[in-house]
Amino acid sequence: MDSKTTVAEKTAATGLLDAEDLMRAPALAPLIPYPVEALVPDVDKQTPAVGQRATRPDARLHGLGQTKYIDDFYLPGMLYAKIKRAGVASARIISIDTSEAERMPGVMAVITGKDVPVNSFGPSLKDQPVLADTRVFHAGDGVAAVAALTEQMAADAIEKIKVEYEEFTPVLDPLESLKLETPGVHAPSSNIYGHKVIKKGDVEKGFAESDHIFEGSFRTQMVEHVPLEPHATVATWDANGRLTIYSTLGRITLGRADVARTLGVPMSRIRIVATIVGGNFGGKNEITTEPVMALLAKKTGRPVKCTFTRPEEFTSSTTRHPLIMDYKTGVTKDGRILARKIRLVLDGGAYCSWSETTLGKACILSAGPYVIDNLYAEAFVVYTNKTMTGAMRGFGAPQVCFAYESHMDDMAKALGIDPLQMRLINALKEGSLSPTGQTLHSVAVRESLLQAAQRFGWNEKTTGATA
Amino acid sequence: MVKVTVTVNGESRTASVPPETTLLKLLRESFNLTGAKLGCDVGDCGACTVIVDGKIVNSCLMLAGQADGRDVLTIEGLATMERLHPIQKAFEDKGSLQCGFCGPGVIMAAKALLDENPNPTVQEIRDGLAGNLCRCTGYTKMIEAVQVIARGTASGQVTAKSA
Repeated sequence: MDSKTTVAEKTAATGLLDAEDLMRAPALAPLIPYPVEALVPDVDKQTPAVGQRATRPDARLHGLGQTKYIDDFYLPGMLYAKIKRAGVASARIISIDTSEAERMPGVMAVITGKDVPVNSFGPSLKDQPVLADTRVFHAGDGVAAVAALTEQMAADAIEKIKVEYEEFTPVLDPLESLKLETPGVHAPSSNIYGHKVIKKGDVEKGFAESDHIFEGSFRTQMVEHVPLEPHATVATWDANGRLTIYSTLGRITLGRADVARTLGVPMSRIRIVATIVGGNFGGKNEITTEPVMALLAKKTGRPVKCTFTRPEEFTSSTTRHPLIMDYKTGVTKDGRILARKIRLVLDGGAYCSWSETTLGKACILSAGPYVIDNLYAEAFVVYTNKTMTGAMRGFGAPQVCFAYESHMDDMAKALGIDPLQMRLINALKEGSLSPTGQTLHSVAVRESLLQAAQRFGWNEKTTGATA
Repeated sequence: MVKVTVTVNGESRTASVPPETTLLKLLRESFNLTGAKLGCDVGDCGACTVIVDGKIVNSCLMLAGQADGRDVLTIEGLATMERLHPIQKAFEDKGSLQCGFCGPGVIMAAKALLDENPNPTVQEIRDGLAGNLCRCTGYTKMIEAVQVIARGTASGQVTAKSA
């Protein structure tokens, strides 16, 4: 605050405004970069990249608080929207009464699923309603949306929306969901909406040749991405019927196709603007409320913004798949793996989202970085009436890694073999075949393990423990 | 509506807002200062951190009316037209800002800490930043940046090119 002048000084200098007027002037928020030395990457010259520390050019604006995330946008005349969440896991919607909400002060529009031209979307299966109109599939489903002059007015109005439900017993356990007699979450479709099998060699023959057979069952929990920046969308139409959506979306091209489909508007009429994302981690890979904001903006003729509350991030955005992982491994008495059979059950929650990708990757990686000639891996992903699961860093890889490495430790302990040695015996080598039959090159599992063990003093630890 | 007059970044400003308006909303919507972010709205994440009368505050938990007559410093008030604040410079040089959403809050917490204790230990830095959550950068580089200031090696001596 070196070169600041007081209100009184400014008043004297301009001679036009009194102190009261200046008090209403915008606060100090320079919209142009400060004239400090610009942080420009050396794009024109080849610099040695490996081993160098890079400075992010965007850090300048981040540190100044000048980066514009979606929630920092304000368009003239903009309205604020809130979405009414179902709060019940499985139900039929008997009726939705929005009349009282529509009469609330400041409310400009209320919409329900009936106002959505094509009420289904999803990055792979189109199994998710934009706003639930006939059925509720999980508690975080939106059933109605309000646009109002202020966020508080919209929040008050959604409290006045009355929804009558016929509630059903929700399917919550993925193993229950796997059974054919369990009622379908998306009946008449089966609860099993993805299945993958990887076969290599003869697993039963491998078990017959093994000295020991070990079994282990492992489970992981549902994880929310918790990006610091909540999902946010601003939608606005121009007088030519073109829609612009400012969104925290990470995959704008895919999102554009999904928005076009739900609204029945050609893609060429839709522009999606994405800025810096305040943390994605896979949770912002698909549309959420973009079509709802577009419809509210169209109905009111004004730009509409919606920012998720933190509870909505947990209930109404995607999460990481919880997995139930059953492992059976046959080994020789000196620790070499001869056969492995795996069953993975992925809890998909209410909608498919990126489950198929996650299922595939989890299944392919479930054997671990080990030479296993006889393998049978089978994976299922099932619907439950829970928060939907989707993409999250690693697409299923972290879950299976937890299982096969825990299983490895259990086996090493039972066999009395050093856990590092157990891994070195079985590690993939140059030219090994992957579970899906590819010849692997540049394999450095052994070298990585040995280097890691040396760096964190693995041998000191184990000799210390056994001494 | 309540009339609120606050000193923001050294200048007196006034606004008439509904009584439920938080200081965060007042800054973002009435004063167009969007550097402080809304992350959780319940005082857990620290993305909304600003300094009020020298103390760090979660501006999502303070009503605009409570800030009436007080002195508020936001991230926008740190740099001058001539130079970055040393903390901003250190965060930039150390790569302490990735997605940047938590950055303004962390920098304000670091400023309040260094104003009170110019030579904090690593543990004191950890305690000072304990109210600020980050999900991508990680805390190590932020702690390193605060250490740079504590050792007095910031700004001018560590440049972007030599980092």
